[in-house]
Amino acid sequence: MAVKIKTKYGLIDIDNNVIATVVGGAATDNFGVVGMASKNQIRDNVNDILKKDNYSRGVVITQDDNGISVEVNIIVSFGTKISEVCKNVQSKVKYNLETMLGISANAVNIIVQGVRVLD
Amino acid sequence: MSVSNITSSKFNQMVQAASVTLKSNSKFINSLNVFPVPDGDTGTNMSMSFESGAKYVEQDSSDSVGDLAQSLSKGLLMGARGNSGVILSQIFRGFSKSVQDKKELKSEDIVEAFINSAKTAYNSVMKPTEGTILTVIKGIAQAGKESKHSDLADLFDDLYNGANMALQTTPDLLAVLKEVGVVDSGGQGLVFVIKAFSDVLNNRKIDESHQPNSGEMNQMIDASHEQSNESAQGKLNPSDIKYGYCTQIMVRIGLGQQVKYDFDYDKFYEYLAKLGDSLLVINDDEIVKVHVHTEHPGKVLAWGQLFGDLANVKVDNMRLQQEDIIEKDEKKEQADLKSEPKETAIISIVSGDGLGELFSSLGVTDIIKGGQTMNPSTQDIVNAINNSNAKNAIILPNNGNIFMAAEQATQVVDIPAKIVHTKTLQQGLTSVLSFNPTASLDDNVNEMEDTLDTVKSGEVTYAVRDTNINGVDIKKGHFMGIVDGDIKVTGKNSVETTVNMVKDMLDEDSEVITIIYGKESNEKDANKVKSKLETIDSELEVEVHEGDQPVYSFLISVE
Repeated sequence: MAVKIKTKYGLIDIDNNVIATVVGGAATDNFGVVGMASKNQIRDNVNDILKKDNYSRGVVITQDDNGISVEVNIIVSFGTKISEVCKNVQSKVKYNLETMLGISANAVNIIVQGVRVLD
Repeated sequence: MSVSNITSSKFNQMVQAASVTLKSNSKFINSLNVFPVPDGDTGTNMSMSFESGAKYVEQDSSDSVGDLAQSLSKGLLMGARGNSGVILSQIFRGFSKSVQDKKELKSEDIVEAFINSAKTAYNSVMKPTEGTILTVIKGIAQAGKESKHSDLADLFDDLYNGANMALQTTPDLLAVLKEVGVVDSGGQGLVFVIKAFSDVLNNRKIDESHQPNSGEMNQMIDASHEQSNESAQGKLNPSDIKYGYCTQIMVRIGLGQQVKYDFDYDKFYEYLAKLGDSLLVINDDEIVKVHVHTEHPGKVLAWGQLFGDLANVKVDNMRLQQEDIIEKDEKKEQADLKSEPKETAIISIVSGDGLGELFSSLGVTDIIKGGQTMNPSTQDIVNAINNSNAKNAIILPNNGNIFMAAEQATQVVDIPAKIVHTKTLQQGLTSVLSFNPTASLDDNVNEMEDTLDTVKSGEVTYAVRDTNINGVDIKKGHFMGIVDGDIKVTGKNSVETTVNMVKDMLDEDSEVITIIYGKESNEKDANKVKSKLETIDSELEVEVHEGDQPVYSFLISVE
């Protein structure tokens, strides 16, 4: 499944992996996010931080008529204000999707899969 | 000014001063904000976060700095707003962890604490982005390590200088800052915090509201354009721009004929704020600079004149600029697209890259890979025709087995398409030469069909098993020369076989021989063939091309 954008010159197909990478990159840009987590924690080994090329395993994209919804699974740093970190991730993800791919997300849902104590 | 240690009351003063400084400069920090999202709220977020921290410190009656630092950290955590607030809370979390057991702080404690701040800040993010507040806290930690001062007032001046130097490097580290021409807004916020700390320890007046200088004003202007465009340059419709003129004036206060009022910042600002948005006003005793996006540049100029004369005026029509950007984008897009639609596409089915290039160089517009062992489907041919961006199409199958598929393709495509019945690649090459771009499709096809009889096609390949074809015995591994479908000669060696085959093909009308060597052969052998043929008849013109075709060592055409 991919997001299709119609232009006057034809069709642009953006693969989900691409969207996932953009979303993952946007999410991990934020302070307090120490990583992306897998959406299937149980199956993929609990609390594992995903590497860059696996971001798609932590991002779920659902398409409906008027855009897409994104679900982002993150691991946050202990001692941050988690609600605020999530808000920041939401706004950055939305902004990056718009500027980089021209996709406006109807919803960016954040799932905090874990907290890391780093010090 | 000599300060040997920081007591709890001093620490409280420092924190309160920082909170005030951030608050009074929040607008300036906002105006620089372009990263991570250019929404112009960094200053507000930092100021509100720090205010919460300052409140916790204010309410803590402990006489130990360690406790107060914990309170600051907690208050920042609870009140953290935005990306910059989160990282600010991390910075002071690291700071407080380092000093938690200390009643008072000495210089080495401060140095240690900021090193720990930087570490915690870097740890709280998966991929630290340089050119942000992180770079500034690193600069502070570094300056602490390098400082020779045990006097805290001097040490904090060193820290402030380190912070400031790091801030100035941010545009070199983060491309988007350089593009817009600003320093990082979060970093700027942290510099204000350190400056306030330093001012308290040095008993300087707390510089509440930072007065931007001209360079900073320009940064603010660039950033405000970035914020209002949301960097969606070229996407914004010119008619969506609410305030169309980017208006900048510089007024020399109190000079000129029109002066009516003494300069008062608030009065001056308020009127302009009603005229538009992205308003920036900075001044010193002599000059006030204004930047505003408005529909009424004239009113801005007139208002300025009531306070002084106009030293400088710059008005840009942003809708026009936007139209230009869009137009440029469209031009670029069109240039990126294929050029003008072609009158006629010539689609040739070819095996071998070299042959493809050969066909292209002769004017074939589209190549479909295929041939003896892999015939293209009707669909492949239809796709090639539909994607050719042409009004007519000519198909060169170059193989009898593809006639059917090509025929079917011509029935279903939207544009007139015709086949030139080339049975061999050699015929294909020859037929292309008689294509005339200005002639009609039918004339061209007739013309090209007529050339087919003038070409003799020879192919040299080797036998994969012992066999007998048309009464000729062929051993496995031997070469055979096939002329227009009939095996004429066989031999053990490809060069010899080729030469013998060409001899068979020549007649008194022959003028040009083309040798196309394939994957199974090489240029050296082809040149051997060439020189042998030239000794037969010096009048003959022999050309050698790399065809890269599979199966056939040599393809020969004689015209």
